[in-house]
Amino acid sequence: MDPRIVKLFKKAIGSESVLTDPVQLVTYECDALPHLRSQPELVLLPQSAADVQAIVRICDTEGVPFVARGHGTGLSGGALPVPGGVIITLAKLNRVLDVDIPNQRVTVEPGVTNLEITRQVAPFGYYYAPDPSSQQVCSIGGNVAENSGGAHCLKYGFTVHHILAVEAVLPNGELVQIGSSLPDAPGPDVLGLVVGSEGTLAIVTKAVVRILRKPESVQTLLAAFDSISAAGSAVSDIISAGIVPAAVEMMDAVAIEAAEAAVHPNFPSADTILIVELDGPSAEVAELFAIVESTCQKSGATRVEIAQDEAQRSRIWKGRKAAFAAMGRISPNYYVQDGVVPRTKLPEVLGRIRLLEKREGLRIGNVFHAGDGNLHPLICYDERIEGQSALAEKVAGEILIYCVEAGGSITGEHGVGADKREFMPRMFSEDSLDVMQSVRDALDPKRLCNPGKVLPTPRLCGEVPGPYREHPVERAGLGERF
Amino acid sequence: MGVTQALRQGSVEDAVDGVVPPVVAVPERPEELAQVLAAATLDKQLTVLRGGASKLGWGRPPDRVDLVITTEKLNALVAHRHGDMTVTAQAGMPLTRLNGLLAEHGQHLPVESAFANATVGGIVATNDAGPMRYRFGTPRDLLIGVTLAMTDGRLVNAGGTVVKNVAGYDLGKLVSSSHGTLAAIVDVTFKLLPVPHASKTLVATYADGKALAHDVAVLHGSQVEFTAFDISLSDQGRSLLLMRMASSPAATDAQASQARQLVSSAPTMVSGEEERALWDEQIRAPWSEAGTVVRFSWLPSNLAAVFSLFDRVRANGCRVAMFTGRTSGAGFVRFDGEDSVVAGAIGVLRSSEHVGHVVVVRASRRLKEQVDVWGPATGASEVARLLKRKFDPAGILNAGRGPI
Repeated sequence: MDPRIVKLFKKAIGSESVLTDPVQLVTYECDALPHLRSQPELVLLPQSAADVQAIVRICDTEGVPFVARGHGTGLSGGALPVPGGVIITLAKLNRVLDVDIPNQRVTVEPGVTNLEITRQVAPFGYYYAPDPSSQQVCSIGGNVAENSGGAHCLKYGFTVHHILAVEAVLPNGELVQIGSSLPDAPGPDVLGLVVGSEGTLAIVTKAVVRILRKPESVQTLLAAFDSISAAGSAVSDIISAGIVPAAVEMMDAVAIEAAEAAVHPNFPSADTILIVELDGPSAEVAELFAIVESTCQKSGATRVEIAQDEAQRSRIWKGRKAAFAAMGRISPNYYVQDGVVPRTKLPEVLGRIRLLEKREGLRIGNVFHAGDGNLHPLICYDERIEGQSALAEKVAGEILIYCVEAGGSITGEHGVGADKREFMPRMFSEDSLDVMQSVRDALDPKRLCNPGKVLPTPRLCGEVPGPYREHPVERAGLGERF
Repeated sequence: MGVTQALRQGSVEDAVDGVVPPVVAVPERPEELAQVLAAATLDKQLTVLRGGASKLGWGRPPDRVDLVITTEKLNALVAHRHGDMTVTAQAGMPLTRLNGLLAEHGQHLPVESAFANATVGGIVATNDAGPMRYRFGTPRDLLIGVTLAMTDGRLVNAGGTVVKNVAGYDLGKLVSSSHGTLAAIVDVTFKLLPVPHASKTLVATYADGKALAHDVAVLHGSQVEFTAFDISLSDQGRSLLLMRMASSPAATDAQASQARQLVSSAPTMVSGEEERALWDEQIRAPWSEAGTVVRFSWLPSNLAAVFSLFDRVRANGCRVAMFTGRTSGAGFVRFDGEDSVVAGAIGVLRSSEHVGHVVVVRASRRLKEQVDVWGPATGASEVARLLKRKFDPAGILNAGRGPI
């Protein structure tokens, strides 16, 4: 980078906040999708919103592309550096600014972790609902960018349902308040647009989040089935009974085997297991949980285990949450895919995935949020065998096509990022993508704010869903993928 | 030419805040709607989009309206995927009809409107919602996909038909509350909820606002999960708290008795037809008689301060005829009095630090000319204006009337 521009950054935010040492820059080459890598020219560590503004103003004037980064746990390469560009890491903006229990809201800077909000409000009996499995380490700024979900979004919604307002720096360096702690702001819901825009429209420097009262009761069960269709029919019957579970998760035999090998949750050996969790007022949970249990029995569950205490509940979730990382126990390499199908199409799409598995000869494990049709197929392969990496990549892509053909989506929670932009035309017409581009151009006419993400560009080498590699965060035991 | 067939001459019934449009377009197909919009853009025709016309008066009074486009014939149910609990309907589908159709499968879109004619497109464009927003949010929270007709004649999609989806920009959110200023909503897809098996409402009466505000704070901090939790204040000084529990029968009863113990007064319980009538009245109350209706919001902890503001308004000679709202901090108040007196009342609300987003939704044209119906602009409106320039470069959509 032009030394003159480096000097400008140093003058604006202080030399100590500008990283240039290649050794230090390595950390920022990728997020939790490590097969997409690119060396940033500079990494900038603003200490305040004013610093972010100063940085973005320089980028705007000098034509330097910039990528905002939270804690680097994203799974779609959303924080992948851009050639010739800078990374703006929000890690130092990590203060909890206000905890307002009577109004059920908390104001935080973007570098605060998801779980920290719950930690702050738990003593008062509250929690922050969105629970991506990286919640111990992922940042609220990143959650806002990705519109993060979690296992409990079936009932509680996504990040967008829990953000009341943000303060953000626009690509021209202007600082704006978007949204309000008060409902019913007149005019287009710009906040709803910015949440989930994957860092391409603005850099969030403050967020006001909604907190919820802890439910009075939580009940969890695990049911084993001989077939995925039996488990699927149990899910359908639960939903048809008018029950909205807090979470409904399914794992197939491959995923069960992997989880068992890794964390020994003592899952029954079965073709499919279903985890159902209900929460809410005690009387409601007690009444509905009995229906869930009998529905599982009627659908042919070979075994039903009800968590009797928090320890048992944690064990069930540990097995579920460990499933991704656990695949490493049964396969040298694997892809984690993220696609969505309408819930009723799950059996059909899973059938197609089974055929694909047979046809291509690669083992595919399935872990998914059955309540909302969000699939996470895990494609096992061995990169030492020639051609298998490419084959796995092809299989991962084909599964996304099945999802779209079934009326679903190419991503339910990991985002498009740099990883899936070339699949966007499968979901959206050229006109639709063009209008999305015009949204971006309205705010970022110079196309400097996280360029090359979300919307498709001419295909370049390496722009494909990637193999699973353990992220440093996972290696340190700080987070797991969902 | 499909376009010309979709046009008719405007009449008094089509008036927008007293201004009769010369032409009304009644497209029957999405493509027609898009073509009409493209043609209007080319001719710089100031265009007002209309659903059921139930909130057509919302906005600044127009000087001129060249064209009204109504979605009355774009009113089909596209698909109710009951197994997936999602529905897609064209914008002109009335909300009440939609909920009637969904009920056949024990499902509903948990949104109420005070207006019988309200359409699904209209509730999105205005983010119109009733008491159940306390639990389920507003239409933007339930919206998972849209088709839009852009002013250049293109039909575009965003979101999809699955409840979990983060692909692409959420243009559905963007048009929520846009009041017809960015694009025409052609169809909408919502996630649905099961109709609860039982429902009961507790009604507590209070002589003074302080005691009511105290109970609201206590109940907010409790683990009772209300489906709706509303306030009602009439000018007779009687204030009510309405607490609706809807779940399985036993759970509804258990929650009702839990809530009853937390309330300082002795509440009465209603269910069945009586309960439905109670909520209907609550939703319609601000609109049921003549007067100026103002929408505004507040932080829950400022509820007592809201009541004090009403005292100030009354002291200035303005009648606070009816106030209803969600205890989460969103409501409507009806003022009665001379225009200048009501303008003063609006000024009292706008100058208070305890309330915000004070929007005049129903008023005489004269009053609307005295006070800006939308109130001061926000940071988000700056961003919205940038988007408006891209979406509606000719500036035809709800020109001069809408919030941007």
